[in-house]
Amino acid sequence: MGEFNVHRVRFFNYVPSGIRCVAYNNQSNRLAVSRTDGTVEIYNLSANYFQEKFFPGHESRATEALCWAKGQRLFSAGLNGEIIEYDLQALTIKYAVDAFGGPIWSMAASPNASQLLVGCEDGSVKLFQITPDKIQFERNFDRQKRSAIGKMLVDRQYMGVSKRKCIIWGVAFLSDGTVISVDSAGKVQIWDSATGTLVKNHLVSNADVQSIAVSPQEDSFVVGTAEGTVFHFQLVSVTSSSSEKQWVRTKPFQHHTHDVRAVAHSPTALISGGTDTHLVIRPLMEKVEVKNYDAALRKITFPHRRLVSCAKKKQLLLFQFAHHLELWRLGSTVATGKNGDTLPLSKNADHLLHLKTKGPENIICSCISPCGGWIACSTASRFFLYRLNYEHDNISLQRVSKMPVFLRSALQILFSEDSTKLFVASNQGSLRVIRLQEGGFTHPRAFQPQSGTVQSMCLLAVSPDGNWLAASGSSAGVHVYNVKQLKLHCTVPAYNFPVTALAIAPNTNNLVIAHSDQQVFEYSIPDKQYTEWSRTVQKQGFHHLWLQRDTPITHISFHPKRPMHILLHDTYMFCLIDKSLPLPNDKTLLYNPLPPTNESDVIRRRTAHAFKISKKYKPLLFVDLLDEKTLVAVERPLDDIVAQLPPPIKKKKFGT
Amino acid sequence: MVQLRPRASRAPASASAMVDEGQPASEEEAGHGLLLGQPSSGAAAEPLEEDEEGDDELDDEAPEELTFASAQAEAKEEERRVRETVRRDKALLKEKRKRREELFIEQKKRKLLPDTILEKLTTASQTSVKKSPGKLKEVNLQKKNEEREKGSDSKKAKVQKVQTVGQNKSYMAVRLKDQDLRDSRQEAAKAFIQNCLYGPGTNRTTVNKFLSLENKRLPMKKAAAQFLNNTWGSQRKQNAKRFTKRWMVRKMKTPKT
Repeated sequence: MGEFNVHRVRFFNYVPSGIRCVAYNNQSNRLAVSRTDGTVEIYNLSANYFQEKFFPGHESRATEALCWAKGQRLFSAGLNGEIIEYDLQALTIKYAVDAFGGPIWSMAASPNASQLLVGCEDGSVKLFQITPDKIQFERNFDRQKRSAIGKMLVDRQYMGVSKRKCIIWGVAFLSDGTVISVDSAGKVQIWDSATGTLVKNHLVSNADVQSIAVSPQEDSFVVGTAEGTVFHFQLVSVTSSSSEKQWVRTKPFQHHTHDVRAVAHSPTALISGGTDTHLVIRPLMEKVEVKNYDAALRKITFPHRRLVSCAKKKQLLLFQFAHHLELWRLGSTVATGKNGDTLPLSKNADHLLHLKTKGPENIICSCISPCGGWIACSTASRFFLYRLNYEHDNISLQRVSKMPVFLRSALQILFSEDSTKLFVASNQGSLRVIRLQEGGFTHPRAFQPQSGTVQSMCLLAVSPDGNWLAASGSSAGVHVYNVKQLKLHCTVPAYNFPVTALAIAPNTNNLVIAHSDQQVFEYSIPDKQYTEWSRTVQKQGFHHLWLQRDTPITHISFHPKRPMHILLHDTYMFCLIDKSLPLPNDKTLLYNPLPPTNESDVIRRRTAHAFKISKKYKPLLFVDLLDEKTLVAVERPLDDIVAQLPPPIKKKKFGT
Repeated sequence: MVQLRPRASRAPASASAMVDEGQPASEEEAGHGLLLGQPSSGAAAEPLEEDEEGDDELDDEAPEELTFASAQAEAKEEERRVRETVRRDKALLKEKRKRREELFIEQKKRKLLPDTILEKLTTASQTSVKKSPGKLKEVNLQKKNEEREKGSDSKKAKVQKVQTVGQNKSYMAVRLKDQDLRDSRQEAAKAFIQNCLYGPGTNRTTVNKFLSLENKRLPMKKAAAQFLNNTWGSQRKQNAKRFTKRWMVRKMKTPKT
């Protein structure tokens, strides 16, 4: 297989932002998650919980409420007083409507999904009509006319109750007139709206109960507390035969360490997210029909896209943060050692550059050219291109001003292998190639898209010889373009799961595609068909443990001298696929580290198979081959993330 | 020889004693007072009176003879002295007042701006005074011409929303008042949430303590999760690094030279 020197990088100080709101869409089984920095992510729960879309954040957007309306339309409202609709096709914000009522604390959609209600700071509740293009202001309810909201199924509000400064964090209104409220004293109270009396009072925790969500069938609801516990309440009949039902607290779940600020209830699962930045999806066992690995707990912590790019020749790493970029040069060592040794660094890693972007918007994507001479990054409204010069360990930076008009925001940026061309995929569905020169750029050209499809391209891959460009969109297969002629060459047949990683191998020009259901395909671009190896793998099927991995493959790369090797990684493992070795079937051990040397050769040959997996470095954000003998692995230990989170609730334990 | 008894001080006590005596003293006094024209004539009358008293008590001698001239001289002397003291007192008071005045003037000067700025201000005010009549004239003309009540003030004070009709909509003029209000409300709302969740009264602890709870309860007690404080002495460490760099450079240079 080969021995590698591994650069183990832990200085990428990546801290995700906490989850603020979660909204579940029943029709499409998608989850919208909004974070404290304004980013909204869309997870496709049926595609192995893959994060398929995201909208970059904005500093002024403090979202307080998120809801789906009229099928596929997503609205959010926040403390800046605006209601924002998101365009899920173009991955931009459609428009923002100011509600003119001050900060908006809550939002709900009516059951027939044509109206939108928002609760504002000044005490008024405003009703908006959802029209095909926009939302229109219809009516304004004052504080006295609270009864008019009775028709709403679920309404969440912040109310200040005067006695003992108890704050009600959430309210749910059921169709039979029951109102459930959760407050900061740790109580879940069930009221009857007809008589206006308290029916039942559950004291659930010592800290605040911060969120509540009711299932679509209205027979169970879930609440989240500030201590990180999530409680499940169910409507259970009093005795086995009687028809009278009451709400009973059934299950506690402790999957979070910090406040759980948002919960959602899908027909089969409880979804919770909070300040500790994990998104936890807990399928309920009694609701799940097929009890297989799908019914296990899913905890999504790390992003499903690449935040690190690498300039291999100069051994540079570019880290993408929300508002700045960092450029590091890897350390070097002159020592050698055996397998498993830690070699001392003769030269430490160097923090070369700290590039801050202007403006309140978050960075969407960034890239560094393989030669290390160009850095490009993009926010939602601006595009930045920088030229780097290296003289004897010093680095100088020059901004290329005067970007072309069409280059406003990019969803994905990629440099060609020889660093002469820049490929930009923008959210209007267009792909552009720009030729780079010393002073700036020339000849921006556009690829002719396939007729009829205007979709946002999410992933790009370019072949090392510079002839082919592969682009994957949100649907309809991967398109391969001929770079010289700027025309579409072929399209890989569509697959029903989204693409998570793309790469083109050198020399053979095989396109390797990884999907969110852990399938890996190899497609030969010159031949316009799947390769033999890929067909064999599909016939035999992947090992069941391979298919049961939680996290998607985010990066694929190749060995320059060995065309039979493919290196890919997800968050908890990296794997070197050797196409010359036999494939494992379900009975063989998938994860087999190097067997001990005293084993006979026969056994070694029997157990050796194509998938060489190493779980030594985790959690991984990026793994790549720098040259023939060196690997770089960027890790992000969970403890380092937790150490930078806001303070949690105090837990008193006996003996401490 | 007249034996002069030690006299008591010429204080008002003697005056009161004189009055009590009765008429003869007062007559003499009055006479002297007319002659001399001074209120201190009472003092001049003393010696005679006292001598009379003393003589009555001790000896039956004849009253002493004092010439008018001597008495007058004495009285004059007295008056002079008194005048002197009064003058001195007055002079002292005057000086005091003078010093005080000077002090006040100095303090006032210190409070005021230096002269140069004052000059500038006075010249500026003069020029502005010159300009404003012109403005008023213009305004009046405008008012007269357009016959509008609002006048030009409202236009200048606010910056209204202006839509750019040009090619690139790269900017938009917004009322600053509205923006401030919106920002302040948003800030207030954020502060409210922050206060509810992390303010006083909430039972929060640091991340370090939270993560170290496990370590404390282990059978082999371990240190806290964030035992080391890596930010301690960061400035010192930086200085040390720089020093070593410079020292290395110097070391490299010396063997060559």
